[in-house]
Amino acid sequence: MVGLSRGEKIFNFANYTFMCMLIVLMIFPFWYLVMGSLSDAKLAAGGGLFLVPAGFSLDAYSAILNNSSFLTSFRTTVIVTIAGTAIGTFFSATTAYAISKTRLRGATLFSFLILFTMLFNGGMIPSYLLVKELGMMNTLWALILPNAISAFNIFVMRSFFKGIPEELEEAARIDGANDLTIFFRIVLPLSKAVLATIGLFIAVMYWNEFFSTVLYITDKDKWQLQAVLRDLISNTSQAMNSSGATMGLQRNVSEFTVRMASIVVATVPILIVYPFLQKHFAKGALIGSVKG
Amino acid sequence: MLGVCQVFITSKDRIGVEEMEQQNNLGLDASVPAVKQKSRFMKDILRDKYLYVLLLPGLLYLIIFKYLPMYGVVIAFKEYNIIMGIMESPWVGFQQFERLFRTPDFTQIFMNTLIISGLKLAVGFPAPIILALLLNELKNMPFKRITQSIVYLPHFISWVIFAGIIMAFLNPVDGLFNYIIKAFGGEPIGFLTSKEHFRSILVISDVYKEIGWGTIIYLAAMTGVSPDLYEAARMDGAGKLKQMWHVTLPSIRPVVLIMLILSLGNVLEAGFLQIYLLYNPLVYDVADVIDTYVYRRGIQEANYSLATAAGLFKSVIALILIVTANKIVKKFGQEGLW
Repeated sequence: MVGLSRGEKIFNFANYTFMCMLIVLMIFPFWYLVMGSLSDAKLAAGGGLFLVPAGFSLDAYSAILNNSSFLTSFRTTVIVTIAGTAIGTFFSATTAYAISKTRLRGATLFSFLILFTMLFNGGMIPSYLLVKELGMMNTLWALILPNAISAFNIFVMRSFFKGIPEELEEAARIDGANDLTIFFRIVLPLSKAVLATIGLFIAVMYWNEFFSTVLYITDKDKWQLQAVLRDLISNTSQAMNSSGATMGLQRNVSEFTVRMASIVVATVPILIVYPFLQKHFAKGALIGSVKG
Repeated sequence: MLGVCQVFITSKDRIGVEEMEQQNNLGLDASVPAVKQKSRFMKDILRDKYLYVLLLPGLLYLIIFKYLPMYGVVIAFKEYNIIMGIMESPWVGFQQFERLFRTPDFTQIFMNTLIISGLKLAVGFPAPIILALLLNELKNMPFKRITQSIVYLPHFISWVIFAGIIMAFLNPVDGLFNYIIKAFGGEPIGFLTSKEHFRSILVISDVYKEIGWGTIIYLAAMTGVSPDLYEAARMDGAGKLKQMWHVTLPSIRPVVLIMLILSLGNVLEAGFLQIYLLYNPLVYDVADVIDTYVYRRGIQEANYSLATAAGLFKSVIALILIVTANKIVKKFGQEGLW
């Protein structure tokens, strides 16, 4: 092994420096938000760099956590996320398992039908009219169903199932197990990794979903978290007042600090699952993108 | 990447085994020559009945939630009447499209879509490749892992939150950028209401959010490059930059091409949610794209047929683009998407 040449040393130094700058650039917005949200409203007025909080106050957080529409939407989003993730993960798996068997008559056709939904779609208006004609407007179903199963997730799972050694399934078949038993007793337990990956992907998607509310929900009690958040961000004072939560003159909050605090509160759940997500997602993103 | 390829190879081997089994079955069937084809088909269906049971819910779902809306695009050729519904509304041929193309704004909107997508593609497509090349050169593994975790993170933050962050930074009153401008004695700028800055904000924020996530696939492809190639290049006196250009990049070309096909298919998307969350009437001239137009005409003004026509126009172009790109890539002997 030859030692590093001068050129390589310079390259490495520049590269590590660049990466450090990139890290700072990526972390700074979140740091800024947390520090801004912890600031005293009066001291924060007019902005600042917020490397540390200007003064210290948790009032913005207590204002949000006492805001009824924020809490209702938080609950709605938890329900939608859990239901959607369960439905989406389970039925993606069943579909993927069936088409992963090349012996299945029509497997190629079914795969193509699924692939085609990635290439072409009806678009916003027909999907909207469909939900309307199904009578799902203003129900949680409208938030759960239209996004539950995606072709991409099915293909990721199909690739994974194809990698499970056939011998395991054959052995069970000789013992008299049918395809259902094999799927539930053998394949699913072996597929925890891919189920976790896809489940987390779907959960994050539901947690971040915003536009379904805009399209399908007019009843404010059923708004998703992101929609309420949007309201808080773009329209702070009005949103706080209309929700019935008295922001109160005695409290030390401003639109600025409340806006930041609400962003932080909505991001925390993602940050909590992030380490788990990270453990799996690279694998998931890879299997799926290799072959559609 | 290699591991994944192996999965494919083994699954193909298995097909071979299954074919042999089927031939064995054929041998048995040969004793009853009259029934042949059809009974074998039924036998296969019966043998796999539980697989069809597993397939059914997903298939029904796709038919209802993906294929019915595809059929729903027929209202682009009708005058949709909310009382008569999709089926009963009268046909009008291409009238909606004529109306759409006559709308003075539509050319502008189509151009906006192309320009915004084009800019995003020009900056956002090479950016993750370059970042992946640089990440690939980090030899300190813990540092590399930490860097990766941090640059992936913005991908998982919703656009609503991201738009909130952008607004917090660019706000003319208390935003960070204007705080800095003011600190240096400048005049505050209303970035999000300025036609001059709006598209740059779209491109920069999009690249910022997705650059890290975009590297995953390229990094994985790079782990498959043989170290011998680098050693040989080094012996020939190639520096780091030359190694990247002559060794790493050619090795990941198939992946780059596949990603390019995929992004071409999305060219007319232009990032609907991002624009919807950030734009305002002051910047419609530079920011209104097909999807935002569909939303305003369709959902807000209940002009369903016209909006569907605009949406269909977009989907058809996207389909043509992705199919053509795939064909071209295959023509050059590379592996396409399908």
